[in-house]
Amino acid sequence: MLLAAADPLAFNWLPFFTTIVVFGIVFFVLATVVWPKISKGLDERNQKILHEIESAEAARAAASAKQKEFEQKLTEALEQSSRMIREAKAEASRLGDEIRAKNEAELVERARRAGEEIETARRLAVSELEAHAAALAVGIAGKILQRELKPADQQRIVEESLAGMSAKR
Amino acid sequence: MSFQLATTLLASEADPVSHLVDKQLGDSPVMLSMVTMVVCAALVCYLLARAARAISTGPVSMGNKRYLPATKFGATIEVMILYLRDQMLTPVMGERLAKKYDGFLLSLFFFILMLNIVGLIPFIEVQEFIYFLRGLPFSMAEHQTNAIFGGAATASISVTAGLAIVTFVVVQVQGLRELGVKGWLEHLCGGADIVHGSVFLWLIVPIIFVVEFVGLFVKPAALAIRLFANMVAGHTLLLTLTMFGTMALKAGLGMFAVSSITVVSGVGAVLITFLEVFVALLQAFIFMFLSSVFISLMAHEEHADGHAEGAPAH
Repeated sequence: MLLAAADPLAFNWLPFFTTIVVFGIVFFVLATVVWPKISKGLDERNQKILHEIESAEAARAAASAKQKEFEQKLTEALEQSSRMIREAKAEASRLGDEIRAKNEAELVERARRAGEEIETARRLAVSELEAHAAALAVGIAGKILQRELKPADQQRIVEESLAGMSAKR
Repeated sequence: MSFQLATTLLASEADPVSHLVDKQLGDSPVMLSMVTMVVCAALVCYLLARAARAISTGPVSMGNKRYLPATKFGATIEVMILYLRDQMLTPVMGERLAKKYDGFLLSLFFFILMLNIVGLIPFIEVQEFIYFLRGLPFSMAEHQTNAIFGGAATASISVTAGLAIVTFVVVQVQGLRELGVKGWLEHLCGGADIVHGSVFLWLIVPIIFVVEFVGLFVKPAALAIRLFANMVAGHTLLLTLTMFGTMALKAGLGMFAVSSITVVSGVGAVLITFLEVFVALLQAFIFMFLSSVFISLMAHEEHADGHAEGAPAH
């Protein structure tokens, strides 16, 4: 049972003008209330993103500069430490040489002094030995001569003996 | 009672087009599409205002999160706006024109989209069913309805013509402001090259003038008819599919056959509804996009189609 076919192309002025008016109102409301707010929000977000990107790039540049500076300082520090080690080694070598030379000089001096002391001691021992030998000789001679020698004779005999001994040597 | 309802619906759904056409609200001259349009206008303003509130920057206390959309709905609208503005309007119109007309074009897009989407929701059928349950006369197949809201407003040529005439006015005002009366007339004659060129070119100026002059009205007419035809076609297909069950019942088929046909046509109708959602979005986009193209054709600005700065568009 088909009813009378409706014409979808039938034009009606009332909806036509209503559409214009309603869309005009919609556009007015959206243009005054909605789009400015959305545009502002999107613009602020864009600005924020751009600002963050710029800040990140600046931070990256700063970090790169700091890294270069650090690497330069590290290189300088390595060079300085190598130089200090070299200098320390040279100083140690120099000090070692000095100490060795000083010790050698001191040893020589000590040897010299020891030699002198030995010579002095030897001379003292020899003179003591000579005196003791003289006394012995005098004693022996006195016994032989069965008389006591006076100190003056004794002295004279000693000196003669010494002179004789010196001559023999 | 369900059989009574089915047969009543059968009687009413005998002609899908009569169900689809715009109807008067009772005896008043007010058409259903007008009420639907007003409701859609209020809805689009309310929803976009909410989206704007969600998209706008929040208080400082929220930290960096204040720059993010506060709701998923706001984020969805924002994605749509950014895509349309930055990927569609700006490349076609240039930054200056896009900035000037993006409000108008986006308003057009969201308004048409809302009309299309609301048209897919069976508000009229629900209201008629309620009236039926209350024992009121069923009036869907006539040129009047008991429903007070619903239907596809964009399936009315009067509505799409209204939207197209708005675009026509905006395009011509843009052309006159941008080109001046002389430039606008040169545009109708095919551009300055023809006007200032060889005298032989003047032989084709009358032909070009006629073509361009007719084109002035054909462009908005094409906009109106494209939107109207797509909506009518989609809804007619949808209504036809939903009618198969009742048609089988009317033909005196058995309950198994009627049930099978109803299930198959119902599944088909659901699938077509998804397609119609896409068509609703697509047609709103096409209307807005072609409007932006028509506006940009009336500008000095250099575009992707090679219009040079300072030369009238053609």
